[in-house]
Amino acid sequence: MTYANTYHALAKFGRELLEKKTLSQGLPLISLYAKNVMKAERCSIFIYDKNEHTFWTTLADGVERIIIPSSKGLVGETLDERKPIVTNDPYNHPKFLSDIDKSTGFVTKNVITAPIFSSKREILGVFQLLNKEEGFDKDDVKFMIFFSHYISGFLELTNDYLKKED
Amino acid sequence: MNKFNEIADFGKELMALDKMDNVLDLIASKAKELLNADRCSIFIVDNEDQMLWTKHSDGIGRIVIGLDSGIVGETYAKKEPQVVNNPYEDSRFLPNIDKKSGYTTRNIITVPIFNSRREVMGITQLLNKSRGDFEAQDLETLTFFANYVSGSLELVLIQESH
Repeated sequence: MTYANTYHALAKFGRELLEKKTLSQGLPLISLYAKNVMKAERCSIFIYDKNEHTFWTTLADGVERIIIPSSKGLVGETLDERKPIVTNDPYNHPKFLSDIDKSTGFVTKNVITAPIFSSKREILGVFQLLNKEEGFDKDDVKFMIFFSHYISGFLELTNDYLKKED
Repeated sequence: MNKFNEIADFGKELMALDKMDNVLDLIASKAKELLNADRCSIFIVDNEDQMLWTKHSDGIGRIVIGLDSGIVGETYAKKEPQVVNNPYEDSRFLPNIDKKSGYTTRNIITVPIFNSRREVMGITQLLNKSRGDFEAQDLETLTFFANYVSGSLELVLIQESH
């Protein structure tokens, strides 16, 4: 099992994560950890705002926010389908937004996403990793599902229940 | 300090544990405290043997029951919480456990604990709220709590199976 050793190290990450008092402080830590473990070039966690029909995410500093419409791209598709998406050929995927690459100069080679569910089984957010050298496979999907679930408690607590005390 | 700040602190404590017994104990004692209940058992699903077992249950040692037994079994089968405020009038209730232990169950709340594959890996059961019956608010708190602890529980279950 590719991720067997990872599971042992995960509790240490969990403890670090729970030291973070707010969602914005936690997101960069989650991204950094996921990128290292899954050997991907980039990681974003998009938090779903069901009232505004948008997702927001933070940059590495945890401060600046990027907001995107919730209906677009592979992240929007993950929200609709309520399950992970893997594509190792994004430019031929009908939902992939190649415009973002065009405007940033980044070249997306492969993508994996997973929905993050709340205790009420609503979507809290979407987890996305880009560019793993050898491409994403089934073990990566399994780990994404496990990891999304593992962090979902922290996300729900800080986003829904502790929000006003930020 | 409100309930959810309390849960955040509890989370840190929980993450510091790596033995299944300690994890189950801490979850059970926090769940009781949050809902002001007298007893708590965490049942773990054993699919191979079609059993539900507890590591230890408050005051009554280890319980092992069939996957389809009682209100806990119903929670497993339906994948849904159960609130029973009149257990002795409920045909699914197992009065034998009370008989053996000498305990009198007045009311019950159960919530499934899902793993990341959305299978029921365990069930949290609380008995006898200190005052009155279990209500919608208790259900919401326990549902949140069960999901909050599920990541840690899944992790220790994976580790123990290796």
